Formats: sequence, C-alpha cells, structure tokens
Amino acid sequence: MIAKRADTESVKAEYRVIGKPLPRHDAWGKVYGETKYSNDYKLPNMLYGKVLRSRYAAARLLSIDTRDAEKLPGVVSVMTAKDVQNNETVTRFGQTHAVGGFEGLYRVLADKKIRFKGEAVALVAAERRDIAEKAIDLIKVEYEPLEGVFDPVAAMQPGAYQVGEDKSNVICSYKVRKGNIEEGFAHADVIVENTYRVPMVDHAYLEPESGMAWLDDDGVITIRAATQVIEHFRGVADVLGLPHNKVRVIAPMVGGGFGGKEDITVETYLALLVWKTGRPVSLTYTREESIIAHGKRHPYIMRYKTGATKDGKLVAMEAELISDAGGYVYLSPWVLLYSTVQATGPYDIAHVRVDTHTVLTNNTFCSANRGFGGPQPCFAYESQLDELAKQLNLSPLEIRKRNYLHTGDAMATGRVLEHRVETEQTAEKVLEALGPPSKPKSPPEKIGRGVASSMTSYGRMMFLHDTSRSFVSLDLDGSVTVRCGVQDIGGGQASSLAQIAAEILGVPLSDVNVYIGDSALTPLAGTTTATRQLYMSGNATLKAARVVRDNLLKKAAEILNTSPENLDLKDREIFIQNHRKDTLGLKKTDPECNVNYGGTRKAVVAVETCVDDDSDRVVALEDVVKACAAEGMPLFNVAQFNAPTRELIDFKTGQGKVFADFTFGTQAIEVSVDEETGKVTVLKIVSCYDVGQAINPLSAEGQLEGGALYGLGYGMMENVIMEKGITLSPTLAEYLIPTAVDAPDVETIMIESGGGVGPFGAKGIGEPSCVPTAPALANAVSDALGVRIYELPITPEKILKALGKI
Amino acid sequence: MDNTEYLRPSNLKELGQIMAGHKNRATVIAGGTNLIPQMRNGGKSPELIVDIGDIQDFSFIMEDDGFISIGAATTIAEIASSDIVSTFSPILASSARELGNPLIRNRATIGGNLANASPCADTALPLLALDAVIRILSPGDKTRNVVLNNFFHGYRFTDLGKGEIITRIIFPKPDDETTGSQIKIGLRNAAAISVASIAVMLTMEGKICRKARIAAGSVAPIPMRVSRVEQLLENQEISATLLEQCKAIMKKEISPISDIRGSAEYRSYVTAVILERNIQRALS
Ligand SMILES: Cc1cc2nc3c(=O)[nH]c(=O)nc-3n(C[C@H](O)[C@H](O)[C@H](O)COP(=O)(O)OP(=O)(O)OC[C@H]3O[C@@H](n4cnc5c(N)ncnc54)[C@H](O)[C@@H]3O)c2cc1C
Repeated sequence: MIAKRADTESVKAEYRVIGKPLPRHDAWGKVYGETKYSNDYKLPNMLYGKVLRSRYAAARLLSIDTRDAEKLPGVVSVMTAKDVQNNETVTRFGQTHAVGGFEGLYRVLADKKIRFKGEAVALVAAERRDIAEKAIDLIKVEYEPLEGVFDPVAAMQPGAYQVGEDKSNVICSYKVRKGNIEEGFAHADVIVENTYRVPMVDHAYLEPESGMAWLDDDGVITIRAATQVIEHFRGVADVLGLPHNKVRVIAPMVGGGFGGKEDITVETYLALLVWKTGRPVSLTYTREESIIAHGKRHPYIMRYKTGATKDGKLVAMEAELISDAGGYVYLSPWVLLYSTVQATGPYDIAHVRVDTHTVLTNNTFCSANRGFGGPQPCFAYESQLDELAKQLNLSPLEIRKRNYLHTGDAMATGRVLEHRVETEQTAEKVLEALGPPSKPKSPPEKIGRGVASSMTSYGRMMFLHDTSRSFVSLDLDGSVTVRCGVQDIGGGQASSLAQIAAEILGVPLSDVNVYIGDSALTPLAGTTTATRQLYMSGNATLKAARVVRDNLLKKAAEILNTSPENLDLKDREIFIQNHRKDTLGLKKTDPECNVNYGGTRKAVVAVETCVDDDSDRVVALEDVVKACAAEGMPLFNVAQFNAPTRELIDFKTGQGKVFADFTFGTQAIEVSVDEETGKVTVLKIVSCYDVGQAINPLSAEGQLEGGALYGLGYGMMENVIMEKGITLSPTLAEYLIPTAVDAPDVETIMIESGGGVGPFGAKGIGEPSCVPTAPALANAVSDALGVRIYELPITPEKILKALGKI
Repeated sequence: MDNTEYLRPSNLKELGQIMAGHKNRATVIAGGTNLIPQMRNGGKSPELIVDIGDIQDFSFIMEDDGFISIGAATTIAEIASSDIVSTFSPILASSARELGNPLIRNRATIGGNLANASPCADTALPLLALDAVIRILSPGDKTRNVVLNNFFHGYRFTDLGKGEIITRIIFPKPDDETTGSQIKIGLRNAAAISVASIAVMLTMEGKICRKARIAAGSVAPIPMRVSRVEQLLENQEISATLLEQCKAIMKKEISPISDIRGSAEYRSYVTAVILERNIQRALS
C-alpha cells in the first residue's frame, strides 16, 4: 500500500532529492538476482569450514580427540580451543569506542564448561563441504553432562546451578525510582496487576550467517561476511593476537540483519582457519545452526502493577522484568538497560518503580534483536493500559491521550523530551485510518480492534560517545563518490547517503556512487544497529557534502561575480538564486510531478526539467569543478559526526539521559477471531510514525510495513521452543514466521515533523516500526473476546484456553 | 549420501525390472520433498535411489465412466489445478491447494504423500473419505489393489512390501447425492503442517444420511477413518443432538499426542469443532 504522508505542507518544496519516492540505486540488482551476498563469492583453492557444536547444554568438556578427523582425506585443518591464541576476550560493542562497564565474556571455542547446546567446540576446514561435515562427525568429544538451569527465575535463586565460572547467574540489575510508589498507589482508584511472558525469538533472516575470507598479498586477513558491524575486525585481530590493521572486514549487501549480525558470527572462525591454512575459507551456517547456536531475542517475564485515578490518569507503575540471557552475556546488559529506560512507555507517570534483571541460563544465548529490549515491555505496558481502560470505561484512545508524554515533558528517568513528541497525533491517525469496524460474517466470528503506542530510541546510548565518518568527493565530470563504512542490511542505508549527497551537491541521484562496508577502505561509520545509520552516517555525509558544496559555491561566486550566499545548486548547475524560470514561478514546480523517473536496468535517473536563460548568471557544475581542480581547491571531505554525549546514568535511581532522541508511533489492528477454533485473522494493520523527515518515502514505508509484519510474527506465531536447553524448533518447519498469505493489508502513515536529530530533521524508524504490533494485536484479541492473553505468541490454543474451552 | 546409487528408468517395464532386481535395496524417489530432507537429517540413507520422474505413464489424471484415476507421480500442483479433480472431488482439490507452498506443490507427488504415510499427509484424508483404492506394482510384474483404509498399518508403516511401488490411485466418482467438505487446521495460513484435519463425504437421501465417510488426520498414528462416527450418522437424520454425539465419539476414537504444534486437548477439541463444521458445510 502506498504510504500516506500526513503532513503535506512539511514535504518541503525546496528539497530536490530528499523526500522523493525514488527507487533505490540497489533495487534492480536485487530484482534480477544479481546482487552478490556473502555466500556468492568463491576463490580458487578455497576450503569449506564447518563448526562442531556441543551436544549438551550444560556439561564439562573432558577431552577432544581430533585424530580421526585429521586423517580423513581432504581435511586440511582441525582446530580446538588450544589452537586459539586468545580464546577468551570480552565483547564490548566491537566499535570505535571501547567502553567499560558490563563486558561479556567472548569465548571463541568451548573449553572447561559448556554453557548452551550448540556452543562451538571445534573447527574444520576441508576441500569439500561434505568432507568437512564428515570430519565433524569423526571428532570425538568426551563430556560430563551437568544438571544445568533453564529457567531464569530458578537461576536467580541462591544455590542455583552456576552456568558459567562466575559467582552468580545474575548478570546485572537496574532500577528506576521516581516519586514514592506507595503514595502513588494510594492515590489510585484502580490498580491492575498482571504477569506477562514473551518468548525467545529468532531473526529468521533470508540469509543465514555467512562469510568467506582469504589472506591478501600483504598478509592481511580479509573477511567478506554478512555483518552489521565491520568493526569487529578489532575483536577478531585480538583473538589471533594480531595488530588491528592485519584484519580487514568487508560487508557486501546483507540479506537481513535484525540485530542477529550485530555480534560476531563466522568472522573469527574464518580468520582462524585462514591464518592456519593460508588458504581462502568459506563458511555458511545451516538454518539449524542459525536457530540453535546464534543469538536470539530475550524471553522476558514481566510483572506489572499499574494504578490510575477515576479519570484515567496514571499515577503509579511498578514493574519487575526478568530477562533470560542464555549461556553467555553478549549484549544482554545493554538490551536490559533499553528495556529499563523504556519500561514506562510513552506515558507520564508520577510514581515509578522499575526493577530489572538479566540472568544466565543454559539456553541458547540471547542478544540484539530489532527493537533491542523495546518490544518486551511494550507488550506489558500496553496490555496494562487497556485493562485499566476497561475497568474505567474509557476508550483505549482516551486513556492514552490522558497520559501521553508531550514535547518538554520528563520521562520517568527524569530525562526531558526536548525534541518533537507526536504520539497523540499518531494515535488519532491510525484509528481514523482504520475506518468503520468490519461486520462479523457468522456467529463464531468476533471482530476486535486494538491500539498500541511506543517510544523507541534511535542512536546508541549517549555514554558510548558514538561517532560516524563519511567521505564525499566530486570528480572532474561532476559525478559524486561517497565512501562510508556503513553496512547495508537491506534498509536502504547506502541509498539514503546517496540521496543526501545528491541533494547537497545538486546532482541527480544517478550521479552518485556509494562505496560501503570496508573496514580498510571506507571511513569507519560504526554499526548498522540501534537505528543509528541514517542519524549518524546521514549527518556525517551531510557534513562532508556541505564542505564540498561550500568550496564549490565559493569558486562559482568568483566566476559569477557574486557572493556564495546568493547561489543555489541544482541539476549540475550553479546559479544565482531566484533566477531560474521555474523558481521565478514561470513554471511552477511541483516537487512530485517535475521528477521524471526514467528507468534503465541498472540505474534509475531522476531528471528535473529546467530552463536557464541567462548564461552569465548560471555556470555548469562541471566548469566549476574544473576551475577548482585547476587551482587545487579540494573537492572532497571526510567528516566526522559526533553524537551528543552524556556520562553514565545514576544506577541507583535510573535518573539520567541515556538516548539522544526517541521515535514515537502507534499501530492499530483489526482482527477477526473464530471463537470455536481460536483462529485469529488479522484484517488490517495501520501504522503511523513521526519519521521526522522521510529521506526516501519508499524506503521509510518499507520499514514501516516490514516492521509491522516482524511485530505480527512476534505476536502470533514466532517461538523458539526450548526444553532443557534443547531447541525443539530448529528449522523453519517448526519455527513459524508469517507467510505472504498471513500478511494483512498494512497501511502506513508518516508524520514529518522535522523534529528529529538526524539529517534534515529525520528520526530513525528501523527498529521502532516493529515495537507496538504485538500489544496492538493482543488488545484487539482481547477486545474481540473479552479475555486477555498474557503470553506471546497468541496462538489459537491459548485463546481456547483463555475462553475456558480446553 | 555419497555412496548412494541413482537410477532413473524411462518406462514402467524398466522400473519393474529394477525394483524386482534390487528389491532389498531400492528406494523410490518421486518429488523428493520427504526423502531428501530425511536423508539430510540422517533419518534415511538409501543404497539405491530409483527416480520415477521420467516415467510418463505415471503422471495423469483420468476420468472414465465410474472412476477417477490419478497416476502416482502426479504432482500436487497438477491435482490442485485439475478440472477433473475440482469437478468430481473438490475436497481433494482443496486439500492439494493447502499442502505446503508453491515450490513444494510443484515437486511433491500424491504417491509420495501416501507412501510417506505421515499422520498429517494432507491428501490422505480426502482420499480416505472418497473410498480410494491404491494400485501397487509388485516384483514379478504383479499388480494388486489395496483399499486406502487398509494401506496404513501404523506410524509411518504401510502395506507396501519390498520392491513395491504405487502406480495409481483410483476412486469412484461420487453420485449427485454425495457431497463433501474438508478442513485443515494449521498454525498459519500457508506452508503449515496440519495440527488437526478432517475430510467428510456424505450421501444424503432427503434428510437421511445414507452413507458417511469421515477421515481424520494428525490425531492418531495414521490418517484414519473414524468408522464409529460414520456408523452413528448412517441412516439417521442429522440433528443437533446427533452432531453432539458424533463430537463426543470423535474425541474418544482419536488418540492425539501433544507436541510443539499443539497439545492433545487442543487437537481433540478442534477436531470435534471441524467435524461439526464439515458436516454442516457438506449439507449446505
Ligand atoms: C517445506 C515442506 C512442506 C510440506 N508441507 C506439507 C503439507 O502441508 N502437507 C503434507 O501432507 N505434506 C507436506 N510435506 C511433505 C511432502 O511434501 C509430501 O508428503 C509429498 O507429497 C511427498 O511427495 P514426494 O513426491 O516429494 O515424495 P518423495 O520424497 O519422493 O517420497 C516420499 C516417500 O514415498 C516413497 N514413494 C514415493 N513415490 C512412491 C511410489 N510411487 N511408490 C512407492 N513409494 C513411493 C519414497 O520412497 C519415500 O519413502 C512438506 C514437505 C516440505 C519439505
């Protein structure tokens, strides 16, 4: 469905490339299947890698005998923990700034204690994939199975089985304290208290973890891998005991990230095997490995007690969140901090008490997943709000309107929302767009509607002192090159940078070429995570492009005998402002219709028509570039964008500023539920966000639609089912995600307040777009049936149980 | 897998010879949508694979005076889009349309679906309700027929002996008084293994049910006919009370298990619900 753009006035007429629904420069390669992903590269002499994984979730590793595997013809190398120079390091964030605090153990290959089933035990490189597989079977591992602990609440108890080598399974705990909680509840006329549970879920990207690596002519280990973080080159180098500049990571187009490629996946294994054999090595996880052995979204148990006055004003919220981190720490402390800060949702509550804990168990480890700690509490606080509304006889919209935070209000953490907050508008818009309710077709069918709002941060936590760099240059013919170390995971990360450069330098989008994702050759831009790339690298690219533009205009001003402020840049021409016919009003330009999308197979050209009439007031871009070059005036720039920073928050009260800004949005869902079978059919989803400024509305709309479906899977069916650490849903036959036939009509609405901290006032939407879907679904089901489901996913079986039918 | 031999006969005669000559080690492959995953996960490691994909006489949908015949290697996609199947056995057509996804339907065959004998085999239920018969080619060029209801012996265990292959599936054309309905419950709208599934064929004489065929899937070790429910319906006027009795008996006759797709109680409950719905639909 084509996105509606709510605030048409703010589609700024002065932008030429920004805000235009331009087909992405990388679109055709994907349509024709020509785009090369990590597993599409081969080199002569290449070996195939394979990982041996633990059969037990909790065990002591007694011995490993690799002799038979080594003897198998075609096996080139077998490696175990003893072959790894620095087998244990710490994960920080793998990025530009090493920050202390909660550092998680990163163990490359298991030794001592096995902490989850599927943990890597040994590596093999062989001439063929099937030989590598056979070699894995020939490695003899002796284990002493241990009892393990699989429930985070049990793992928190004193005397519980210890998952790792530390003294406690509790990784960390946070608090938020605001007001006086007892007093708050004393003022409440209604109090609802419930426990909510959300499952472990997988990213289920099309492309599993994959990569290929080789030694280049200078002895640099070069890894081309599907990653959201090329800056893991440092961590990989540390494992091998090499200088950081001896490892290079290249990220080609990534077939989906969703947080699953934020931690190291195949990179270290590849580097070890390449270093040992001197030959290129390729390694791609099977789907089973991807589901069993790589990081998941944390399951949470959440107890929420929420109180409101008669007229629907929230006065107190008490929340206790327990997250199951699985076998290793990875990003669990950070994910939990996000949940803690966002535990109250986009609401103003006088008295707040939040306690959160993340705990090790012998389950598959959990780490980043789209929303990073946002979706879990949103399910709880939005369900709570509807329960209160029901008791108070208020509509779901009304109770929310009485409690939304507005621009200038303070969150429970004391942080004042100084940027635009348009949550209320998004809520009104989604309900309006949902239209009149559908009519049930036959008696067992019930119709219900639900709404849920959320606030989700974009950009990394401020105490991480985040930075990004981008290089922009103009060539002699006026074409533009951007070099920026972003990883493009399918969201249009590269294409948006091209649009920004095109806008500032007055060239059509097709004149911009973008090089991305190479830790040796592109300026480091940080991770494609935390919904930060448009914000961070967009700003860096904007900054660099502006420097180049300023130089150009300076030169052009000399040529045209005017001052730079009088000049504008468009369609490869620099001209004195208000001089071109179209801008004089002779040919009124409509930003939508004067763009001509002439498509060729590879590139799509946006041509804006213009007429110039006065040659001494207009000069061609190419001529200015040449004049600059002749004088040695630089037409390139590397800019660094530094995010605003703050020091760590006060961990005793949770008071402080953690994020630069938030994205606010609401989703509404209409469902039909068959009361006899429990089957839910989603009739429609409407999703509205204040996106600040849509750089490319097509990409933004893609994120909103995709986010809604991602969230719908969480709400309806996704579930990594584990029993005593064993994954019972290790393939896509058991781990269900919505198919095309399950996808409802998704209508997207974008508000463009211009109030974000990204380039042109943009906000981030990659992660926020998936957060409120599951609670909106839960609220719709509850509206249809009059009973609530407190545990995701909402399956037909749970519905029938809630209805008392089974 | 690398020690597996592979043969691809081009006609029935060659196939018969291969199967007779290697009856102890030959495994038939049709679409491979069950066999290949089973080989990949180590569940099966056949010595000799005999591919029936080139045998032309194996893939057809035919109608004659009284019967519909479907070649064993006919794909599920062909069945789903066949006019003959839609006209004479809409419940088979609709269950074929609900099997797997388009990629699977283009490869999967009806013979493979039955020979694999999963309790969730989607085409087994309409075929049981349609009184289908399976024609089997045995070593020595012998042919025998087995009523489908006698074909499934136990969990993934069928009447097929060594070296035997299914050649076709035959069922009588239902008369004008006979109608059917089929419902599959899965955990999503496509590409879902059934959690419970029922196919029903009813022959009515006015308000009286003269003949009933009820087949249930995913609720027992095999796709099964539920004869006690059939008996309850036959020669009776179908009333609300009778339907309640049918539902109660149905729950007793099936023996669902609890697994990751659903608990036994859930399966049992929805089976009763879709039984009633199917009967009402067949009658309307
Ligand atoms: C992703 C996916 C989704 C699926 N979804 C469904 C679903 O929704 N519903 C469903 O019922 N099934 C489903 N299946 C299972 C499978 O596709 C079907 O059972 C299919 O009909 C099997 O047919 P085939 O030709 O591929 O069999 P094959 O794999 O070729 O063979 C299966 C078995 O039957 C034997 N065999 C095949 N043909 C003959 C013959 N003529 N005579 C004797 N023995 C024979 C083989 O030796 C083998 O043991 C799914 C499978 C996959 C991979």
